[in-house]
Amino acid sequence: MTTLSPEKRDYFADLAICREPYQYFSDMLKIGPVVQMESTDALMVTGYNECIEVLRNHKDFSSYNSSVGAGYPLPFVPEGSDISEQMEANKDKMPHGELLVNQDGMRHSELRSLMNPLFTPSRLKANEAFIKEYAAEVVKDAVSKGSGEMVNEIATPFVTMVVADLLGVPVEDRAKFRAVIDSAPRPGSMTEDSNTEEFTGPLEYMARFFAEYIIDRRNSPRDDVLTKLATITYPDGKLPELKDLVTLAGTIFGAGQDTSAKLLSTSMRYLVENQELQGQLRANPDLIPAFIEEVLRLEGPTKATFRLARRDSTIGGVEVPAGKRIVVALAAGNRDPERWENPHEFQMGRRRAQEHLSFSRGAHACAGAPLARAEIRMILEEFLAQTSAIELSEYHHGPAEDRNIEYDASFFIRGLSSLHVNFTPA
Amino acid sequence: MTEILVTTRDGTETALAFTPSMSLMQTICDGGIDELAAICGGVCSCATCHVYIADEFLEGLPAMSEDEDALLDGVPYRTANSRLSCQIRLTDENNGMRVIIAEDE
Repeated sequence: MTTLSPEKRDYFADLAICREPYQYFSDMLKIGPVVQMESTDALMVTGYNECIEVLRNHKDFSSYNSSVGAGYPLPFVPEGSDISEQMEANKDKMPHGELLVNQDGMRHSELRSLMNPLFTPSRLKANEAFIKEYAAEVVKDAVSKGSGEMVNEIATPFVTMVVADLLGVPVEDRAKFRAVIDSAPRPGSMTEDSNTEEFTGPLEYMARFFAEYIIDRRNSPRDDVLTKLATITYPDGKLPELKDLVTLAGTIFGAGQDTSAKLLSTSMRYLVENQELQGQLRANPDLIPAFIEEVLRLEGPTKATFRLARRDSTIGGVEVPAGKRIVVALAAGNRDPERWENPHEFQMGRRRAQEHLSFSRGAHACAGAPLARAEIRMILEEFLAQTSAIELSEYHHGPAEDRNIEYDASFFIRGLSSLHVNFTPA
Repeated sequence: MTEILVTTRDGTETALAFTPSMSLMQTICDGGIDELAAICGGVCSCATCHVYIADEFLEGLPAMSEDEDALLDGVPYRTANSRLSCQIRLTDENNGMRVIIAEDE
């Protein structure tokens, strides 16, 4: 087998990169913090500071292609030093162009201002009682069975119900939402085409429900979250259009699904693969937040995010022409030795650990990060309190010297496809 | 044109134009000042966008929420002029406002 130099490998299709992304990112970073890829006409940014430089500069670097990725060809041939007009003229040819993650500037800022109040500490506190109670129930059920599959059986339903509660989705509709989400292709999939209209299927399905909720609450306000969502206004006091609120609600529902479920399962993998660490956290649950931060840094659910150079510009001194597609390799920046000492080592309690890039940065930084941290912390607390041991199922994953653990074939999600574990009750 | 005057940690003052209804945090970040980490992106959960507002402009700002107050309690160098810049939506009234980037930890 010939070994390709890293810049020649196809990040968007090479399944070996999916299995071992950190070696690949490390190899790319060794070439430089900003590297031209050969398989796709895109730049890969791997340096910690350079990633932040791109993410904070949303005037030069647009989120136009954020949801489809830098491997997706532009629907036009870029011309000149500023492609803003071409981008606008071709916007309807980009898949899911209406999503919040793909917006820039004022339009993005306005939509974010509607969403931000949902994730403030006091808002989350109201949600925490439900999360705690529900986490206890989910864990009790799993532990009583003696074993369980973390990703699909436990984590996904758990995080789905948490977001449903946050948005005030009536209990009787929650199961319907989950069924639709479960049957959709995963974002950034290398093996299924997630850039078709079908990808928006679940969002469209949920949109119908949210439209009904919002019309209902605007006509007859109640004391609930959906009423707050239905009556929220822009900073200038203007009431948002129904479709904007519906898209937003769908986005919140969709965005918190896969990523949070992957974070919970990856966290669990660290605990079952390191029994000493598991014992340490069981004895001292106050360490769980620091544990989660280090899992986020080392193996956060989002490996990369994507941008498009709107104008001629630079990244880390490297010239970037307008129209260049960019892979912002968050997972690479999270292991940049310039920023992190012994970057590949698991070290709980690093100084300024929360400065990792797993929730991105700048205007598009993940609004749901506080929710993710809270829900994962609370369910891990329950898992550790209700068990005396949690172990990896060797029946499913093989013995320590020959583990068989699969990751989703995705160029932006880092996540286990399944994780079977055995529980010993406390 | 509306603008604010931002003093960075080295004492330099820069005038930044702003669009009313944008947040103070976003205006400072978009203005090319990279001293605000602003990690959480404006959901009032990280306190890494801490600034000091000049006395004469403090009163005209929207009141501080309990969340903002609690977060500011956790930062070093809190003063009576402290605010989290992500919680301030700029209006025409803020034209000429002087803002100092707070000390880091």
